[in-house]
Amino acid sequence: MTTSEKNYSAEIMEQRWLSKKTFEIKLRRPEAFNFKPGQRISLKYKNLERDYSLASSPDEAHLTLCIRYVAGGLLSQALGDAEIGTGMSFYGPHGYFTIKPSQRPTVLVASGTGIAPFRSMVRSGAAPEFILHGVETSADLYYAEELAPASGKYIPCLSQSGDSQTYFEGRVTDYLRRHLPSQNYDFYLCGRREMIRDVTLLVDELFEGSFIYTEAFY
Amino acid sequence: MKIYTATGDRGKTSLFSGERVSKASDRIEAYGDLDELNSTIGALIAHLPSDRSDLSDELQRIQADIFMISAWLATTANSPAVDSLEPIEERQIVFLENAIDRLEDLLPDLKNFILPGGHISAAWAHAARSVCRRAERHTVLVLESSGDDEPAEQLKRALIYLNRLSDYLFVLARECNRLHGLSDILWKKS
Repeated sequence: MTTSEKNYSAEIMEQRWLSKKTFEIKLRRPEAFNFKPGQRISLKYKNLERDYSLASSPDEAHLTLCIRYVAGGLLSQALGDAEIGTGMSFYGPHGYFTIKPSQRPTVLVASGTGIAPFRSMVRSGAAPEFILHGVETSADLYYAEELAPASGKYIPCLSQSGDSQTYFEGRVTDYLRRHLPSQNYDFYLCGRREMIRDVTLLVDELFEGSFIYTEAFY
Repeated sequence: MKIYTATGDRGKTSLFSGERVSKASDRIEAYGDLDELNSTIGALIAHLPSDRSDLSDELQRIQADIFMISAWLATTANSPAVDSLEPIEERQIVFLENAIDRLEDLLPDLKNFILPGGHISAAWAHAARSVCRRAERHTVLVLESSGDDEPAEQLKRALIYLNRLSDYLFVLARECNRLHGLSDILWKKS
């Protein structure tokens, strides 16, 4: 947040495409850097800066970022084109989007790369009752194999599935409205602000008394 | 991160501790007052003489304290979100007391009530003082419906802080007039 924060140097160790529009980079983790699952860093590269949630657990030797490739998005394009060994800097960690102990069941709701902090939480031992991941197609369910066994129920919500036998077709709000049993929950919402708005208003309507924690990406 | 998510379009907002509450609740009133207080202090800083960075630094430190108090007001009892917050410390109150003493030493004794006003910086300091008093009153309301928990303990300390801050803003208003060669405007029966 402030320019007086410590800057860390990091270089790209790995890069892989998770889907057509999403890629993952792994940065070498500076020894002195620590964070809590769900927190983000401010990444600086080529005079550009943006916040990214970490998708790895604090126990891992690298920092994983899950990035949506945005046509015309200067930093995401530069990172998508960067080669292994490319150096950059970051500062942080920032944010309070961390799992709070609770008696209520936990419901994690992500759209797109908003799944990143949830992956960090799950890799750190969190066992949420529900994980909803709103994406366009099944090709975008990049962390499904990891997330499905870790939660009571992992629910991909696909806007263009073409396979309603296997997947829930519709928005995350459609699933919550139709299928989530009526009671109080702790909702964690991460991703597009329209999703955050729609789920929050739905919670006000159908799950009053629940708690909501949010992180808006774009 | 985006500034707006429009989750408050229907009159509710989320507390730092996760609950959805009415925007007309005591807590929201209280930290809304603190937000207004911080904005008012910002206006005051903008009107300070350019060679008094010591005063603007002091006020910015106070703005940061007010932010922290706001976070406590946005956190309910027994919330694990408490772990993310920094406690309000005695030294922050002592900081204000020392600043009050320092300013009072520069000022003539006051034997009458004074009318808010004078230089624009003094007028803003008085405006800030009265917003601070309102924040204090709303914080009392929040405390009166709180239990004996960690946020309540912090709010009790916040009350001391706000009470002291009002006094600080009062003497600072007088100092702002003195810096500009203006006398206090004494109250006279009309």
